[in-house]
Amino acid sequence: MTHFEDELKDALRRQKPPDGFADRVLARAAESDSRPAKRTWRDSWLNIFAQPFAPANLLHWATVAAVAAALVVGGVHYRNVHVQRERAQGEAAKARLLLALRIAGSKLQLAKARVDQINSGPINRREVNSDQRHPDPNSDPTANQQERE
Amino acid sequence: MAEPVPAEEAADVALGDFAEIVRQHQSMVFSMALRFLADPPAAEELAQDVFMQLHAKLNTLKSPEHVVFWLRKVTSHRCIDRLRHSRMPQVSLDDLPESAGLEFSRDVQPADPFLSRRLQQLVRSLPAKARLMVILRYQEDLSAEDIAGILDMPAATVKSHLQRALAMLRDKVVRTMGEVRTDT
Repeated sequence: MTHFEDELKDALRRQKPPDGFADRVLARAAESDSRPAKRTWRDSWLNIFAQPFAPANLLHWATVAAVAAALVVGGVHYRNVHVQRERAQGEAAKARLLLALRIAGSKLQLAKARVDQINSGPINRREVNSDQRHPDPNSDPTANQQERE
Repeated sequence: MAEPVPAEEAADVALGDFAEIVRQHQSMVFSMALRFLADPPAAEELAQDVFMQLHAKLNTLKSPEHVVFWLRKVTSHRCIDRLRHSRMPQVSLDDLPESAGLEFSRDVQPADPFLSRRLQQLVRSLPAKARLMVILRYQEDLSAEDIAGILDMPAATVKSHLQRALAMLRDKVVRTMGEVRTDT
């Protein structure tokens, strides 16, 4: 250790506290001992299980009950809202499906009517006429002669 | 089998132990706070708070060595915290009045009162961490490893901080008091 460090050590040597320091500390300690120990938040909550019916725990039980009730009401409300929303979505889907079926049905009706119209319309008659004008070349010509005779 | 000690009696025993610890270590705690804060009322308040904290934790401390370590650690951390909260300005060496030096111990008078007072002022002008390290090194006579344990930092960091703090102090002493005063 250098001379400078010795000087520093000498300058920074311990100093006695003011008179009565220890007594003041001990008085504070005795005062804190005589005061009832302040329960921590955690301890006071855990105490509701140790002494469930103590009057001091009524407020805690009331808080627990209020929180539980709020949870139940909230849960039921959430469930109702959820069910209502699902029902509304189902109704909307059902309506869309019915509309789609109705549209598809009307289109089928139209298509059927058109097919019927085509089957019973001038095209068939034309086919009949063309049959008369152009006899079937594969048919037997003697048969026709015999008929004519 | 030993009879259980009544609660009041146990409290008296604990308070008796506590009183002994306070009397034994009051100079250490108070001096650390005083050298760091340079404010005797604030130092006393801080030292009282440290002992009150010890009173609450006394049954968790295993040995007298542990108690001393704990006291130094808590005092150091409280000093830093107090400085942080009060935003105490770093005092420049040139701004320090001559009367700002702390009183010397009533038991032992220093070899060179003027140099000692000046050194105390200079220590106060150091940054907080460096000041604490210098106090622990030269007031408490602790090694860099012990200081590192108290301040929760590597010993190498403590050594480099101490070297820098010493160089800074020596430089300031030389500037203000002259080479001759430090060499003699």
